[in-house]
Amino acid sequence: MEMLPAVVARDPHAVYSAQKMPVTPPRSLTELFLGFLSIGARSFGGVMPWAHRVIVEERRWMSPEEFTTIIGLCQFLPGPNVGNASIVLGKRWFGLKGSIVAFLGFFGLPFLWVLALASLYSEFALHPGVKSVVTGVAAAGAGLFIGTAIKLGKPIARKPWALVVLMACFIAVGIGRVSMLIVIPVAAVISYQLAKRGLL
Amino acid sequence: MNILLELGLYFSVLSLLSVGGMPSVIPEMHRYVVEARGWISHDDFIEMFALGQAAPGPNVLISSLIGWKIAGVPGALVTLAAMCGPAAVLSFWVAGVWDRLQGTPWRAVAQRAMAPMVVGLIMSGGFVLATPGGAPDWRLWLIAAGSAWAMVATKLNPLWMLAGGALGGALLL
Repeated sequence: MEMLPAVVARDPHAVYSAQKMPVTPPRSLTELFLGFLSIGARSFGGVMPWAHRVIVEERRWMSPEEFTTIIGLCQFLPGPNVGNASIVLGKRWFGLKGSIVAFLGFFGLPFLWVLALASLYSEFALHPGVKSVVTGVAAAGAGLFIGTAIKLGKPIARKPWALVVLMACFIAVGIGRVSMLIVIPVAAVISYQLAKRGLL
Repeated sequence: MNILLELGLYFSVLSLLSVGGMPSVIPEMHRYVVEARGWISHDDFIEMFALGQAAPGPNVLISSLIGWKIAGVPGALVTLAAMCGPAAVLSFWVAGVWDRLQGTPWRAVAQRAMAPMVVGLIMSGGFVLATPGGAPDWRLWLIAAGSAWAMVATKLNPLWMLAGGALGGALLL
């Protein structure tokens, strides 16, 4: 950042979009590993913004447009989005070796930390105050899910059939507690037929 | 059946069902490990979920915490590998195909078909987590509603909402 001209440095996003900075893919597996390590290690409160910061802004491995396309794919696929991105990007640059290295770099530290935190937590879990706090955090986490659903739902809220599919999934899975192993295949077939007819 | 084997197989299936990522399969994970198998209690599940949300890293680590609670460190490794593995293999294989599908009608139709399902599933996750045993508790709903509102209306880092939840929990619960 400090090497950029002062005129454009005020708006961090203008720099990357306006200047068309050259993008260079990682040169070595070590660089790939360290890049994904720094995404995993710093991603407090959500991984995606950090993936964008490291891959597009700090290391400039790819353009914002390419990044958006890759993330679109990874959100479409099942599984953790950025975990999938580590596989797809590792493969693009270094083949299978790259996928494995990026994946391990991404998960390594968060996996160790989360287990360390959980072990530490079980030492204090019996204290009644701790339990109230953790239950409150979980409720707020539940709220983040609802918030995510509202954000994702806004663009489709005007389509009546989309609301029918949405509510049917919610009633079956959330309230009826029907297994997703049944709900997903059934909903996917119905939803696909509706989408093909232009109703979604 | 060996519990690690069962965890591995079950989470592998969840991996392929996790359209839209980890949040979509939270209600199913809860249904299976708490309600159907009774391996851990609702409170255990909620605790692991809260820790997984508050710690840095991808939220798929919630699954390894649940595996840890059920079967220790081997459980944590097995659930993480199972939750990521099948999806990772699929990603590896699809990576090249996807670009060729760009602009084809099939891809657009599939994406539009998935959107309402994902929203319904994520909503279910929020509901199940905030409604222990299906019995509404206004205090939990209040905290959840506040955090949902903050997420929709502001650009705050979600950690602030979790901090608010911690405060709300300490005061109300």
